[in-house]
Amino acid sequence: MSKVRLGLIGLGQMGRIHLRNSLDLRTIDMIAAADVSAKSLLLAKKSGVRRVFKDYSKLLKIPDIDAVVISLPNFLHLEAAIRAAEHQKHILIEKPLARNETEGAQIVSACKKNSVKLMVGYPLRFSPAFVELGENFRAGTLGEVQIAGGDFISVGPFSPRGGGSVPTPIPSWWFDKKLTGGGALIDLGCHLINLFKFYFEEVAEIRSQLGYKFNMEFEDHAICFMKFKKGVKAVLNVGWFGRYHSVQVRLYGMANYALAASKSSLLGYLRRISGPDRSTGFYRELEYFVNCIQSNIDPLPSGQEGLEDLQLITEAYRNTSSP
Amino acid sequence: MSLVKFDEQRFSLRQAIEKSLDLIDFQFNKNTRKIVIKPNLCYYWDYSTGETTDPRFVRELVDILRDYISSNVEISVVESDASAMKCKYAFRMLGYLEMTKEKKVGLVNLTNDKADKASVRVKGKTYEFLLPRTIKEADIIVNIPKIKYMQRCRFSGALKNIYGCNPRPKKYRYHDNLDDTIVGLNKLMSPSVCIVDGIIVKGITTLKLGLIMASTDSVAVDAAASQILSINPRSIGYLKLACEENIGCIDFKVKGERLSKFKRLYPRKTFQYKMRNLLSKIYLRFVAT
Repeated sequence: MSKVRLGLIGLGQMGRIHLRNSLDLRTIDMIAAADVSAKSLLLAKKSGVRRVFKDYSKLLKIPDIDAVVISLPNFLHLEAAIRAAEHQKHILIEKPLARNETEGAQIVSACKKNSVKLMVGYPLRFSPAFVELGENFRAGTLGEVQIAGGDFISVGPFSPRGGGSVPTPIPSWWFDKKLTGGGALIDLGCHLINLFKFYFEEVAEIRSQLGYKFNMEFEDHAICFMKFKKGVKAVLNVGWFGRYHSVQVRLYGMANYALAASKSSLLGYLRRISGPDRSTGFYRELEYFVNCIQSNIDPLPSGQEGLEDLQLITEAYRNTSSP
Repeated sequence: MSLVKFDEQRFSLRQAIEKSLDLIDFQFNKNTRKIVIKPNLCYYWDYSTGETTDPRFVRELVDILRDYISSNVEISVVESDASAMKCKYAFRMLGYLEMTKEKKVGLVNLTNDKADKASVRVKGKTYEFLLPRTIKEADIIVNIPKIKYMQRCRFSGALKNIYGCNPRPKKYRYHDNLDDTIVGLNKLMSPSVCIVDGIIVKGITTLKLGLIMASTDSVAVDAAASQILSINPRSIGYLKLACEENIGCIDFKVKGERLSKFKRLYPRKTFQYKMRNLLSKIYLRFVAT
């Protein structure tokens, strides 16, 4: 099976994870990368990327590229995804699909029109602990699940990026709600909403309570209540206030309960900085995306799923009360 | 140098700050017109992490200053942009915008302040810095540092907090001459009094320590605080240099609580912690690369 020729658009925090994984995956031929930062392009070049561009439209014009990974700020997703689709490139786009459902619908429609595959990057769907939790649930080992809980606490835009003696400033777009589409609920909540939909399927009701600890226009923490048509009730807690990264999901059934967690650890940190970690959701997600292209399968989570997640987030923002 | 244990069950924060000042017989000059308060803001980390000065501490101090000096005294809370922190966000996120509005005091981003060039001599060398007008025109500078470990210079306290008065945002440019820069800036912008907000501290973990320290000598404050963190003050380059340059004295006398009381409680770097760090460095140096 021939390798998938890949281009990376955006080499920020997420883009660099994809870069490392792309260079490690044998099914990928890394052709090019694009970013506005000369420093990031130099890093890509040093890592072995053959061609680098400041302007991603030049990357899209390379006919040899089969697919692109878009890891840009939320407000740039729409234009980049539509242009990639018009250039017949399959797309793996970082979550959230877009800033809002209108933009999300435009992306999905452009990909359909141009018959390209669209996958939204939700690494929890590929992270072994959460995959196993879903398998337990489906195998019936928990009995009928009544309630579920999910927590996603992370640093968000409030902690400097990168290691070393000079911290990397947080890009200013993070502080502008118009550019992000929202706060912690859209940024972190979309992971859990998507995961719970994957487990429990159709949502009957969604509500939220938003918190503004940091006095900004966007929420820095939120609680979200979801009720599924199958009867499961779930509570999601998300927050941008931690100096750590913690994701936990708990399912409570009639027969038993199970939980999955992904918590930052020294070992995890050492793994991340020392090279690609083949056990992470990011690695497996990219591997799966490439397999889908090679086997001509529509990848999941699809663009449509990403759009539905945005619709639910809009609904959660609408059905809200401040603490 | 005073050490006070703040216990909210027994007395208010204001009383604790007043006690720390009383113990050192700090006298407010009734003729003071302009005061600068320099808290320690670090990235966008909330005060409850122990990394940044609690805005409630500054609020109480504002009340004390107005009561002891005059209700008309002009007070400005100052900080400057850093490599990865912008005051326009930090002031708002960390509660300083709200507090200063409520108390009707100024809130100044020194990076945007008018500034004049000023030279200072350290170790016989001349250094040039920008001196913000708000600081230049102040009669009193009140330094409200946090005390914590710091990778580059081992310890951050009163002297290091004044480094944050340097209006240039790209402070990493001074890293090669950090000791000289810290000392130079302290010569240029010498605080009248330092009151350490050690109510919540960040060592290897965050802890409610309830410590308030006060002194008119920044070097003495840092020498005492570094001992609480189990660091020999004479091993801290800028502290030794500050002493040599007569900014203050590394030897100190404590009034109030005993230093050992706080040293015992402070979340210090233990042997296990140091070993874990050493092993990870070895791993990164010899295995991972």
